Amino acid sequence: MSEIILKNITKEYENGFLAVKDVNLEIKDNEFVILVGPSGCGKSTTLRMIAGLEDISDGELLIDGKRMNDVAPQHRDIAMVFQNYALYPHMTVYQNIAYSLKIKKTPKAEIEQRVREVAETLGLTGLLDRKTGQLSGGQKQRVAMGRAIIRHPKAFLMDEPLSNLDAKLRGQMRVEIADLYQRLNTTFIYVTHDQTEAMTLGTKIVVMKDGEIQQIDSPANLFNFPANRFVAGFIGTPTMNFFDATCTEEGGQLVLQTEKGRIPMNEKKAAALRDGGWVGKQLSAGIRPEHVICADRGEEAVFEGEVGVFELLGSNAIVYVQTASGRMVMNTSDLREYAHGEKISLGVMADMVHVFDPETERTVTN
Amino acid sequence: MNTRYSDKNPLILRILGIAGKTVILGIACVFTAFPFLWMVLSSLKTKADILNTDVFFPPDPQWNNITSILFDSPIPKYIFNSMWVSLAIVALQIVTGAMLAYAIVFLKFRMRRVLFAVVMATYMLPVAATYIPSYIILADWGLLDSFGGLIISSTVSIFGIFLLRQAFMQIPKGLVEAARMDGASHWRALWEIVCPMTKSSFITFGLMNFIGTYNNYMWPSLITKTSDYFLVSQGLRAFFVRDGAYGTEWALVMAASAVVVIPLLVLFAFTQRWFINGIGGETGMKG
Repeated sequence: MSEIILKNITKEYENGFLAVKDVNLEIKDNEFVILVGPSGCGKSTTLRMIAGLEDISDGELLIDGKRMNDVAPQHRDIAMVFQNYALYPHMTVYQNIAYSLKIKKTPKAEIEQRVREVAETLGLTGLLDRKTGQLSGGQKQRVAMGRAIIRHPKAFLMDEPLSNLDAKLRGQMRVEIADLYQRLNTTFIYVTHDQTEAMTLGTKIVVMKDGEIQQIDSPANLFNFPANRFVAGFIGTPTMNFFDATCTEEGGQLVLQTEKGRIPMNEKKAAALRDGGWVGKQLSAGIRPEHVICADRGEEAVFEGEVGVFELLGSNAIVYVQTASGRMVMNTSDLREYAHGEKISLGVMADMVHVFDPETERTVTN
Repeated sequence: MNTRYSDKNPLILRILGIAGKTVILGIACVFTAFPFLWMVLSSLKTKADILNTDVFFPPDPQWNNITSILFDSPIPKYIFNSMWVSLAIVALQIVTGAMLAYAIVFLKFRMRRVLFAVVMATYMLPVAATYIPSYIILADWGLLDSFGGLIISSTVSIFGIFLLRQAFMQIPKGLVEAARMDGASHWRALWEIVCPMTKSSFITFGLMNFIGTYNNYMWPSLITKTSDYFLVSQGLRAFFVRDGAYGTEWALVMAASAVVVIPLLVLFAFTQRWFINGIGGETGMKG
């Protein structure tokens, strides 16, 4: 049982820079929580405050109900995997993995047995006598994980653990981490700027920007119901298309009027727009590339433009179209080739349109 | 342009270059080694041969000079004093220096840079300027003319703090943080993670300060007057002036000087490899 609660946590550096602002987060036992956001958003600082490697300027950190603000890292019973692995270069793989148990004065026979078990789990058995300098990136990563899991800690903290690996290995290790999570049944807190890692690994994702939490939700909800324009743009590849539209009423039906066409709003969205008093006003709207369609078969065209770049990815294709509303990206499974400069009309799946307040950037229609 | 030096220079120029370097280095070696060689050779001569400048090599080596120093003089006692006092001082200096360097590099606290600047500023102070205050403090504590006074007055080495700080700065902070997460206290992280990774700097620090303390003359001679507490330099001087200026037994003085150097040579022979690494700033951390 390990529950981690962050109450109004703030981090202010000596020079006055506010890295984390009033963060509230509840992490339940066995959750895989991902802190995600662009560089400098405060995600690593938040993780390091949970670890005890950074002082908490204000607020309270509770682990299993106990206040941990002033408890040294070694007394928090939390393990951490670092971005650059942080393996001890003067020790062998065995010694690296066994170090925490040696500090706890665990009997030698038990250390030996536990190191062998961990090595078996992570496929490191043949490497135990090697110095860490003789290992490949992936092997180093496994040793770093081994060092964490041998302790049976209350929670695992991982600070961008895959960012030093090449794309192929990263994919492989991602699966291994997911597998490890299933087997260990412990709380994971994972920091990344890679939204693919966030979406595939997390049971709960915390999106951060400029030291503030933007949204805490499940991967599916984050994708389908972003709380604001930032989250909508950050989650999903290629990123969401944004355009300006005016909310108008035509014969009892609310529509978003773009430069070239109209997007009808369903009942739920229309109600939200009416309640917010948005009728007749300018809004910011967004549509994911997979919800943009080619409108040359009679569908209502919402945008018109010229094809810029066409990328065929195999099972799908990405088409970049320059329109009067800006550049629109379409992710289509229709694999016909689009020529550069070709004029095309684009439609959208109306139910998938997100509408944001142009000033606060908050979602209007979730 | 990636042209090799040898491709552009004819053979004769290369030979001349090598010869030039050899001559310059050879002269430097002679200047450095000659006084040492002279001392060793003189230690095996009679007093008359030493004063006769026509004789360079001892015609009849006087081994009894060495044996009389080893068995019939207080020199071995001074060597022993110097050895253990230097060891104690170096051990203390390593502990205090490593702790301060660790704090300056790995801990976060207000005025950290100011603290380091103040420590470094004391390095700029002429050593002689510290003699009087140090003397008064030792006198107040009743530690004059004692081994305790000799040791306590040299507990901290600013040079060592600087050397270790430079070495510690090469270590990624993540390693110390990883050790902390693994359950290590700062003390353990210092001695089990940081120290093994900067071994050569520790050895360089230890060796240089050991030699300095072993040979130290001025400060020990100010605070000790009983021959029981003499270190080698002071002991040598006492030995040198024992019989007055005209009665100086030059052969024995030379033999004593040669004997005194032996422990340092042995020490250097064993630690040479690390010594060079430490000065070169190599901490084994590259890559």
